Amino acid sequence: MEVFDLLMQGFQVAMQPKNLLWCLIGVTFGTAVGVLPGIGPAVAIALLLPITSKLDPSGALIMFAGIYYGAMYGGSTTSILLNTPGESATIVTAMEGNQMAKRGRAGPALCTAAVGSFVAGTIATVLLTLLAPQVVDIAIKFGPPEYFALMVLAFVTVSAVLGDSTLRGLTALFIGLGIGVVGIENESGQARYVMGIPQLADGIEVVTVAVGLFAVGETFYNASKLNHVADTIERVKGSILMTADDWKRSWKPWLRGTAIGFPFGAMPAGGAEIPTFLSYATEKKLAKHPEEFGKGAIEGVAGPEAANNASSTGVMVPLLTLGLPTSATAAILLAAFQQYGLQPGPLLFETNAPLVWGLIASFYVGNIMLLILNLPLIGIWIKLLEIPKPQLYAGILVFATMGVYGMRQSPFDVFLLYVIGLLGFLMRRYGFPTAPVIVGMILGPLAESQLRRSLSISQGDPWVFLQRPISGTILVITVLLVVGPWVWRKVKNTQPAA
Amino acid sequence: MPKGQLILSCGVITLGAAILGGAFQIPDAGGYSSVGPGAVPKVVGTVLLLLGAFLVYEVLWLKGFRNHDEEAERALPMNWTAFAWLSGGLIVYGLTIEHLGFVPSSMLLFMATAAGFNSKRWLLNAVVALVLASAIFAMFNYGLGLNLPKGFLKGVLP
Repeated sequence: MEVFDLLMQGFQVAMQPKNLLWCLIGVTFGTAVGVLPGIGPAVAIALLLPITSKLDPSGALIMFAGIYYGAMYGGSTTSILLNTPGESATIVTAMEGNQMAKRGRAGPALCTAAVGSFVAGTIATVLLTLLAPQVVDIAIKFGPPEYFALMVLAFVTVSAVLGDSTLRGLTALFIGLGIGVVGIENESGQARYVMGIPQLADGIEVVTVAVGLFAVGETFYNASKLNHVADTIERVKGSILMTADDWKRSWKPWLRGTAIGFPFGAMPAGGAEIPTFLSYATEKKLAKHPEEFGKGAIEGVAGPEAANNASSTGVMVPLLTLGLPTSATAAILLAAFQQYGLQPGPLLFETNAPLVWGLIASFYVGNIMLLILNLPLIGIWIKLLEIPKPQLYAGILVFATMGVYGMRQSPFDVFLLYVIGLLGFLMRRYGFPTAPVIVGMILGPLAESQLRRSLSISQGDPWVFLQRPISGTILVITVLLVVGPWVWRKVKNTQPAA
Repeated sequence: MPKGQLILSCGVITLGAAILGGAFQIPDAGGYSSVGPGAVPKVVGTVLLLLGAFLVYEVLWLKGFRNHDEEAERALPMNWTAFAWLSGGLIVYGLTIEHLGFVPSSMLLFMATAAGFNSKRWLLNAVVALVLASAIFAMFNYGLGLNLPKGFLKGVLP
């Protein structure tokens, strides 16, 4: 029962009044950015990085984590009430949830999303609690070659396996890796691509890239392409509570959604989109009335919402135990740890146990807070949706520029933000995913260090990665993940059409 | 053939070439690992060149990017006026922030962005912008110890 003791230690940290307050601030702010279109948890945490550098790390990290999973709750509100989804992982909820709202059932849709998120978030946190020490036990034996192999696997799953196109995903990843090499290099102290610009010597800040790609790019896309697309907000009529029949139809999808979502997040595969689609397909198949799907079936909201939340909690397993981020927001959380000189991984569980377990314990607390914030107080969040587009996006740009300029008082960063914003706009316009850019720029320099350390140990012999069984296996899996689908397509195309 | 896709793909090739070219200017002393600080940039540049070439292949031989709905994007015409308002807002912000100060520059940015979204309510936007920028300024400068420029109110504000 060692885990239990550690978790209780964690609760002692999480239940301190100041940490409870940070948690509440985090989940509240997270719900707000989840509800608001045009800004998400990645941007919110990035903007807070510079102004939180002097805070106590455990409080700040509890707040950031609160923003991360709070945004998942808020996103479902937007996708149910608005015809445009707030977060990419809530597209499926938008299909059924918006249909329910159009038929006057917005209340039960919001309710099943919130309770489902709570159930999934809590079960996923229990699984995280039990699984993390196991992974740490294995990971403690890993050396640089194993870490390098794991990072390559994460690169590939984030960019090539998810999304519409392996080619565009990899292009985004390598643009991110390119951004990551700018500045003074970790191991040798050598300046790269600085071109005599002093601001580039410290490297390109993740704040500028995340805010540019997501907030500025999104604003440009909305202004220049979606100007005339009108949003319609559905009203919440009648009771928000679910009927007995709604509960009966919801609880199984919640559990199934959790079972689908958590493994997807916990494996270094990342991404909450695929498990939500899988959950939706599963519920449609198992439903007694599949004809209701597409016209507002409550199972189609309950399952995917649970899957979404379970997978985002699952992402914490590789992040905390291996230091491996598998989504854009997780990569920025990693940057938050680095800001305090902390490196997530097995060592952190030994050297900083109260901080890690305090963070995990805060997930239990935060999920309860979110249930309260999102059911009785739902009216407040609906008000946020009524902010008109011009003022909303104008406000987002004011915050974005303030955060980027305020970081080191340099107009250079504002112009860089503009350029990266244009890049974000182009990537959105031509269907390139943006998350791999962030993962690439943050994980790239770490992977480079592990590569150089591995080769120092082996005295320059590159076969070291394949000779060690664990790193070899991981690299083989990685190659199969990239080449497999391509070969499959060729094989399918050469067979005569049946 | 979608022209925009072709230009973008050529842009990826150019970026790859620039990174590869720059990589050869990095002094490379490998030490024990035999991999110096120039090695990874060389790989990144080379791979981007290849990825760019594959993108060009998709555009020219497959008539466009795979799994990308160019029709849907074409159906949404590009609003260059909005694009110009937003670009102007950000560039003017970068140019004026150190001279005018945080509050006036943020107001200009706010009003330009709102105008880009077709808002004609200039007075309302100016008032909202003033209140928002002042609130942020007060909170971050006096509450959180950030140093946002005071601009022409330098002598007046504490």
